[in-house]
Amino acid sequence: MNVIEIEKLTKNYGKSRGIIDVNLTIEQGEVFGFIGPNGAGKSTTIRTLLGLIHPTSGSAKIFGKSCFDSPEVRREVGYLPSEVFYYDNMRVIDLLKYSASFYKKDCTKRINELAEIMDLDLNKKIDDLSFGNKKKVGIVQGLLHEPKLIILDEPTSGLDPLMQQKFFDLIAGENKKGATVFFSSHILGEVQKMCSRVALIKDGRIIKLEKMSSLQENSYKRIKLETKSAMYKDAFNIDGISKLELKGNSADFIYKGNINSIIRRIGEFELANLTIDEPDLEEIFMHYYAKED
Amino acid sequence: MNIFLRELRANRKSLIIWSVCIFLLVLSGMAKYTAYSSGGQSAAVFNNLPHSVKALIGMGSFDVTTMAGYFAMLFLYTELAVAIHAALLGAGIIAKEERDKTTEFLMIKPISRKTVITSKLFAAFVNVVIVNIVTLVSCVAMVTKYNKGPDITSEVIMFMLSMFIVQLVFLTLGAAMAAFTKSPKASGSFTMGMLLIAFIISKITDLTDKINVLNILSPFKYFSYVDLVSGKGLDIVSVILSLSLVAAFAASAYFFYPKRDLHI
Repeated sequence: MNVIEIEKLTKNYGKSRGIIDVNLTIEQGEVFGFIGPNGAGKSTTIRTLLGLIHPTSGSAKIFGKSCFDSPEVRREVGYLPSEVFYYDNMRVIDLLKYSASFYKKDCTKRINELAEIMDLDLNKKIDDLSFGNKKKVGIVQGLLHEPKLIILDEPTSGLDPLMQQKFFDLIAGENKKGATVFFSSHILGEVQKMCSRVALIKDGRIIKLEKMSSLQENSYKRIKLETKSAMYKDAFNIDGISKLELKGNSADFIYKGNINSIIRRIGEFELANLTIDEPDLEEIFMHYYAKED
Repeated sequence: MNIFLRELRANRKSLIIWSVCIFLLVLSGMAKYTAYSSGGQSAAVFNNLPHSVKALIGMGSFDVTTMAGYFAMLFLYTELAVAIHAALLGAGIIAKEERDKTTEFLMIKPISRKTVITSKLFAAFVNVVIVNIVTLVSCVAMVTKYNKGPDITSEVIMFMLSMFIVQLVFLTLGAAMAAFTKSPKASGSFTMGMLLIAFIISKITDLTDKINVLNILSPFKYFSYVDLVSGKGLDIVSVILSLSLVAAFAASAYFFYPKRDLHI
């Protein structure tokens, strides 16, 4: 069964672009990654899907229904917005109970469990919480009714690495119990960890829809190194290297291919420094653009 | 029901402040009645004021030396205050989710936007009723304290009924504005602007009879307070027309809100 069906979805804000002709189907039990730089249209897609803004054309459905015609389908949806804002003057527990009151089931036990996992003090006033702690409230709030579809919009911003890990474990647990996860992010690495499929969106259009496994085969690394002695000119004249910049004793390039062969080549030098990073999204996007041309 | 209770709680503080202010307004206004009613020279002074001056300070054609006339003059200011409350409340209660950026919290819940409007309008309605009752009690208490002439409690109740309808007009106007405009800050100012224009129109048409047709734009002129002072009660046609306006504003809130994009 398809949990999310987005067909030819277009949204314009007046004359400015939102998203153009987005098509996505997400099956039950999937963890789906939605990747793109800021302003690419990730949040617009989600907000249209959730019925907060109207599509200019096309359709977006959850469990086969539009949120505009059947708001009750949102009963099975948990949503964590990218920026969390709550009512002033409420304690965390009051807010969570208010949220739970919309779902017609007793969520008290789940609230306590989640608060314990996320290390959240339920009796504090929301105004007094830090950004990261507000984000935790958002996480608990999004999951307390045990939704069948979890929509996450940049969920990890503001969380420290330990909390991020707990959060990923939590989402993985929900997925194991059968929940479908729609995970929007601009950080490829965190999506790579969890997702079975990813869509890349840029300038409002989906430019790539791929299984994570095939994306990983194309795993790119940005490698920077400094050597103690000068490098010979053709040292990195091998397959899979692009954007090579050689300056005296330092080299900077993007590598795609077997990681062992590049490490062996690097091992030929006496190194002063070495960093191996995920290339940033822009560079991967550039690659996909290049492939399309 | 949960939104209704949430809104009652959220508006509690503001309701208390408004109630205290209305009480103080009535108290300070009524306390001056002795100066107007002391008879002798002051009565002559008031009666000899030019009509335009009387109109501007709200006396109109009331005999302010009697309790009913004085109350009618004071009532216009009380009514202005509660109308401001109703207009701000109506616009604010709808626009607040967008203003405080809680849209993404509330509007993704399994409820329709119409349900949200209904709950919020009911909560606002309760607030308006309470303000009206507070005004009624303050007025009856103060009138009784200072009145030396015939009892006017039944007239005061009629005044309050007419005021209640005016409150509803501005409440639903504000709600319709907030439902229609995407900018959450604009709806409140827009509604206040329309309220002030309505008030100014009511003052202008007090000055001259020639443009009475403009009164249709001013809910402050929907009921004849001269008739109320003389004990004639509320004109049923005016009541029906005003309530139709309330229904039309409320209906447009239900019509526009689900149709537009929410401001996030």
